[in-house]
Amino acid sequence: MHFASMRQYIVVLIIAAVVALAVTAYLSLPRAYLLMATTTSTRDTGLLPPMLRNFTLDTGIEVRYIAVGTGQALDAGRRGDVDVVMVHAPALEAEFIASKDGLCRNQIMYNTFVIVGPAGDSAGVRNATSAPDALARIYDNRSRFESRADNSGTNIKELALWSAAGLNASSFGTWYEKTNQGMGATLTIANERAAYTLSDDGTWFAREPTLPYLGLLYNRTDSVLRNQYSVIPVNPATHPGVFSERALAFAQWLVGPRGQSFIGAFKVHGHTIFTPDGTGDC
Amino acid sequence: MSLEVSGLVKSFGAREVLRGIDLRIEPGEIFAIAGPSGAGKTTLLRCVDFLLRPETGSIRYDGATTPAEPAPAIALRRRIGMVAQNPLLFRGNAAYNVSFGLCIRDVDEPELSRRTADALKALGMSDLAATRASVLSAGEAQRVAFARAVVVRPDLLLLDEFTANLDPTNVNILEGAVREYNRSTGATVILVTHNMFQAKRLANRVALLLEGRIVEVGAVPEFFENPKDPRTRAFVTGEYAY
Amino acid sequence: MTLAGDILQITALSLLVAGTSTLVATLIAVPIGTVLGLREVGSARLLRNILFTLYGLPPVLAGLLVFLLLSRAGPLGPLRLLYTPLGMVIAQVVIVTPIILGITMSVVSTVERRVKDTAFVLGADRYQLSITVLREAAAGVLTAIMVGFGRAISEVGAVFIVGGHIEGQTQVLTTTIITDVAQAEYGHAVALGVILLLLAAVIYSLLYRIQERTLP
Repeated sequence: MHFASMRQYIVVLIIAAVVALAVTAYLSLPRAYLLMATTTSTRDTGLLPPMLRNFTLDTGIEVRYIAVGTGQALDAGRRGDVDVVMVHAPALEAEFIASKDGLCRNQIMYNTFVIVGPAGDSAGVRNATSAPDALARIYDNRSRFESRADNSGTNIKELALWSAAGLNASSFGTWYEKTNQGMGATLTIANERAAYTLSDDGTWFAREPTLPYLGLLYNRTDSVLRNQYSVIPVNPATHPGVFSERALAFAQWLVGPRGQSFIGAFKVHGHTIFTPDGTGDC
Repeated sequence: MSLEVSGLVKSFGAREVLRGIDLRIEPGEIFAIAGPSGAGKTTLLRCVDFLLRPETGSIRYDGATTPAEPAPAIALRRRIGMVAQNPLLFRGNAAYNVSFGLCIRDVDEPELSRRTADALKALGMSDLAATRASVLSAGEAQRVAFARAVVVRPDLLLLDEFTANLDPTNVNILEGAVREYNRSTGATVILVTHNMFQAKRLANRVALLLEGRIVEVGAVPEFFENPKDPRTRAFVTGEYAY
Repeated sequence: MTLAGDILQITALSLLVAGTSTLVATLIAVPIGTVLGLREVGSARLLRNILFTLYGLPPVLAGLLVFLLLSRAGPLGPLRLLYTPLGMVIAQVVIVTPIILGITMSVVSTVERRVKDTAFVLGADRYQLSITVLREAAAGVLTAIMVGFGRAISEVGAVFIVGGHIEGQTQVLTTTIITDVAQAEYGHAVALGVILLLLAAVIYSLLYRIQERTLP
């Protein structure tokens, strides 16, 4: 009776597929959680998981996130794929608000950009008088430099610093390498290739133990190196269907006493990583 | 089943293989179609079994033409069985192969197993029921193919050089099985062969097919002992060079 | 979440996504591949060429395509399937179906003509004919499904783009290995890699045994 048994196989296959699809679909049910697009640097410091857990405990709102570059995070908001963005590129954020993709902006905290590089420091970044001077020294020495080149907040800051040094990064030679990846990945690459790179100090401190060949070479708190993080709920008028109220609650919690004190108390390997400076119009 | 073939023409490209065949085969007879290789014997059988579509001419089964609708066409097809010279056995064991036609016809257990076992036993194959088809000898494979064809009790059994290249023992078993099948069921058998002795042993009537045409049709004793056509005489005496 | 719990969840989701995609792709590809493989006329040829192009479709491209389809601003945006396991399944079905379809078609078309003739003469209708040919080609079709599953479970680009690698939600083995390496979490990455390898070994040996049973 092999034709009948073949029919049985087909029925079993169909049942298996339907069950598998049902389980998958169940896991894909319209999410009840708030979805955030954020930058790799906030993930790579390890701040997000405990902070989001606290937020959920306080409000009952669950938050999940995708970690990408600032440019891509804002684009996810621009497409309406996420409810809220947490980024660090003030110029791009202003555009995001101006185009009505963002509802409002709360600044949350800042940390500092630092220049890290091979412990030998052949370019002499340690002796630099300013951040642009440090980059000029790297340029003069044609020391290998890893650029994230991912339109992230860090990348935008890096390009601004080259400009401040009177240099045009687009004309650089092969010593200037573009990783097109996140902060953590770029630090890993710099460590392997004995290269300089620009990092935020938060990610650096979080990753320092795994980067034996790199040293912290320039970490003065020049105002130009201030790395301001902000949260922007996506505008429900432009993108109907986003969880606007929950996003607002999240933005407000972050600048409120609970969020701010958590951020101020957050330490990685003994270092305080973010300075809370919560304020804003949300 | 009776068979009436009239004006049958079949070509492959420019080559005309059957050039107007007229035949009438009566229910229950064993009819041999003899002739040299390339005469069109296999083509004729394949037309009868719907594997080929003739250009002109008709074939009537029990007086009726082939139905146009699929269901009755399949029903008619299922009344006809065929055993080819080098049979193809499906992947699986001998019993699976024999049961194939029964499965096609939705025969249920326990009848399925019983009929399969009976058919294998009739061909002396009971021991080999669970043997994989790919390891059977040529003679065993042909016996499986024969059992597979007759287990579904076709009213018309087509045999295409079904014992060519087999040893005498297997030829004896298979010829005995043909006789037995014909006797017990009254089914019509058409036997295509280039072996005059086999035609003589098995058939009631014989036709000689040469270059796509029927030369002569006759009952077995007359056809061999007193052929009318000189070409038939040359063929039966072995003078015909081909 | 504990390390073990996290690994368990990631592994389960990997299996679910790759398994579901393979099942769905099999149900689509095997019947169509059989019908097309049985056709001997040239009309199937163009289709075959298109298929073999899709066969080489880079998974990342499939991921991009499905991402644009499922994004809120895309045509299927209202379904809200971006960054969900179902979205990942859709992307992988797009990747795996042409693979299974292509291999099924070619193994079915190489089944001897005589198989069809013999089944026909024994009274098979069209459906029974297809099943008979499929049965003769079973080893090849199983290989097709194995190759499809192998592609699905080891694929990383499309599930990263469409799944978004959301913690506890759409993380699978391959994407987690990528982010682990970026974070220098080599131990975790190696553990996941070993699981991936073991999964492949278990599933392949299982299928291999089924395949052995289907040999002539």
